[in-house]
Amino acid sequence: MSDWLIAFLRWLAALGLMLTNGVVMILMLRKVLGALHLRLGPMDNGPWGIFQTLFDVLKLFTKEDPTPKAVDKVLFFLAPALVFVPSLAAYIVVPFSETWVVGDFDLGLLFIFAIMSIIPLGILMAGWASNNKWSLVGAMRVVGAQISYEVPLLLAALPVVMMAGSLNMNDIVEAQRSVWFVVNLPAFALFFIAGLIENGQTPFDLIEAESELVGGYATEYASMKFGLLFLSEFSNTFILSAMIVALFFGGWNIGFGLDTPAALAPAIFMLKTYIGIFIIMTIRGTMPRVRVDKLLALGWKFLLPASIAWTMVTALVVKLGSGMIGGGQ
Amino acid sequence: MRVYGWGLVRSMVIAYKNLFRKKITVQYPHEKIALPERARWAVEPTFYDDGDPKCTACGICERTCPDYVIKIETTTLEDKSKRIDRWHYEIGACMMCGLCVEACPFDAIRMGQDYELARTDPATLAVDLLADVPAAQPKRRAEAAAAAKGGADA
Repeated sequence: MSDWLIAFLRWLAALGLMLTNGVVMILMLRKVLGALHLRLGPMDNGPWGIFQTLFDVLKLFTKEDPTPKAVDKVLFFLAPALVFVPSLAAYIVVPFSETWVVGDFDLGLLFIFAIMSIIPLGILMAGWASNNKWSLVGAMRVVGAQISYEVPLLLAALPVVMMAGSLNMNDIVEAQRSVWFVVNLPAFALFFIAGLIENGQTPFDLIEAESELVGGYATEYASMKFGLLFLSEFSNTFILSAMIVALFFGGWNIGFGLDTPAALAPAIFMLKTYIGIFIIMTIRGTMPRVRVDKLLALGWKFLLPASIAWTMVTALVVKLGSGMIGGGQ
Repeated sequence: MRVYGWGLVRSMVIAYKNLFRKKITVQYPHEKIALPERARWAVEPTFYDDGDPKCTACGICERTCPDYVIKIETTTLEDKSKRIDRWHYEIGACMMCGLCVEACPFDAIRMGQDYELARTDPATLAVDLLADVPAAQPKRRAEAAAAAKGGADA
């Protein structure tokens, strides 16, 4: 087979995974939130309502797609694509197993951060083009939060890079054969909090803030354009969880220095990722929302200095005790 | 001892406990729970044991109803007894206040337990609860009962 065909098929697999993830995660969210509220969630379509989101997607496809009069048409159409494509592109470097990775870059981790930081641009486009003050406020919040939290997120990932000695996702996973990098607990905590904010998950979901901002930047969108924005949001949650698993919880490794069967590796990775998603969802169902100024204060006054300090501490420890923690080089 | 951030952990513990508690959802169209005894829904007429309605067609309920939901049409027969042509009831406008039931001197109507009042056809929102039946005459009934009893005694 030609390289192009292989690349295309891999891309198609990533797209399929993304869509499946979206459908599964939306159902999962409704079930998990329901269980937290002592409800059942959707129950009617199929056993335990497992086809509910499938029908929801069909509904989104068949809905009328009105374009409001006052919107900036070009940007309005372009924005969902600009939000969706980076989400899809982030799947490229997610290491499902040693060989199951769409593109095995040496700078994989950096690639994820780089590509994910395009998303705020698309969101700002959506909010601006909607010509609606709620959309714009929502979009400004996203951009404010995501840009200020990109720095702590990167800095919280740095200790892992130092311990693994590589930016390649598979090398990072490989380095956690015996000890998962979650032993670097502060780095994990910083990464998790910054990731939740970056992702707009609930304690920090000022982006959507249904009760304040209608639908945030997606207010004026309908039909599949809304579907793309929504899907990208869920897919970002998956990417966040996958990154946490790959960076801190041994990726596709069983751990304890055991050999992982190649056939089981993707299943283990997916299982870990979905456990992470489950925890993120339960947090979403439990915590109240923080205020905008508190959110930004938390970022600039605590997370940023803390992550810089912890990066320095880890650098020192890795340098001094080279070879003692997680096979540092 | 107060630990900073302990509340966050405790809230998560409560949330995870909730996952295993019994669900309180009643999947309504598929399963229904019994109504409480005193649930009050649509008005319905009451009947004597022999099947005659208790309504005397006095019209007090019609006058009491704040929403003009009840309409009684009667004809007076030659022997001065009344006949109920129509005991008309607009479910769609009724707010289940129960004033008509309180006002009725003969306990001829009561608040029923029919709570599934959604209709697909708006025309069925107005119903005749009683149609073309003789109005009850409690006095004569009592006399007849007494006579029957007396006859049995003698």
